[in-house]
Amino acid sequence: MAADLAEIKATIEAALPGASVEVVDETGTGDHLRATVAAPQFEGLSRIDQHRLVKAAVKARFDDGTIHALSVKTAAP
Amino acid sequence: MADAELKQKVEELIAANSVLLFMKGTPEMPRCGFSMRVVQVLEAMDVEYGAIDVLPALQPLREVTAEISDWQTFPQLYVNGELLGGADIVEEMFDSGELAEALGVEQPEAAPQAAAPAPPLQIE
Repeated sequence: MAADLAEIKATIEAALPGASVEVVDETGTGDHLRATVAAPQFEGLSRIDQHRLVKAAVKARFDDGTIHALSVKTAAP
Repeated sequence: MADAELKQKVEELIAANSVLLFMKGTPEMPRCGFSMRVVQVLEAMDVEYGAIDVLPALQPLREVTAEISDWQTFPQLYVNGELLGGADIVEEMFDSGELAEALGVEQPEAAPQAAAPAPPLQIE
């Protein structure tokens, strides 16, 4: 099942209030996504911790197999 | 719950290798594009690194790394016992020079090169 990009975006935004999130389908198959996230919660965190926050937000979609790969690019706003 | 014996083995490997890559496939024959990208970065950095193919024990290793470093996807690059990240983070840190700093080497001038595409098949 292909991921609903808007739902993934909303899930990340809900987990990181105030974040600006962009989710694109990298392969056209709906399961390899790229998320670009800028969130106030990233302030002072290492990159890996920033990525952990994003991955944690979408963990359920990995666990149920909706997403196979999610590239993440993070930035503090 | 991760396998305790495997977890201990992984922790020992991380402690024993200052630069250690958990990847799908081998540096000579990566089996995943993300793993290949990290190998290319490490080759460009010209550092010695250990590489472990996770494919023979993918699910047990996912459970182990989830416990050790709260990270379940591969590749994973560990430097001096700490998880730096997967392909996205490694490439970003390469571009910014942070990776060279973490590895204690000079930033190379050349960008990591994608392997040359295989020549087209010749049919005689």
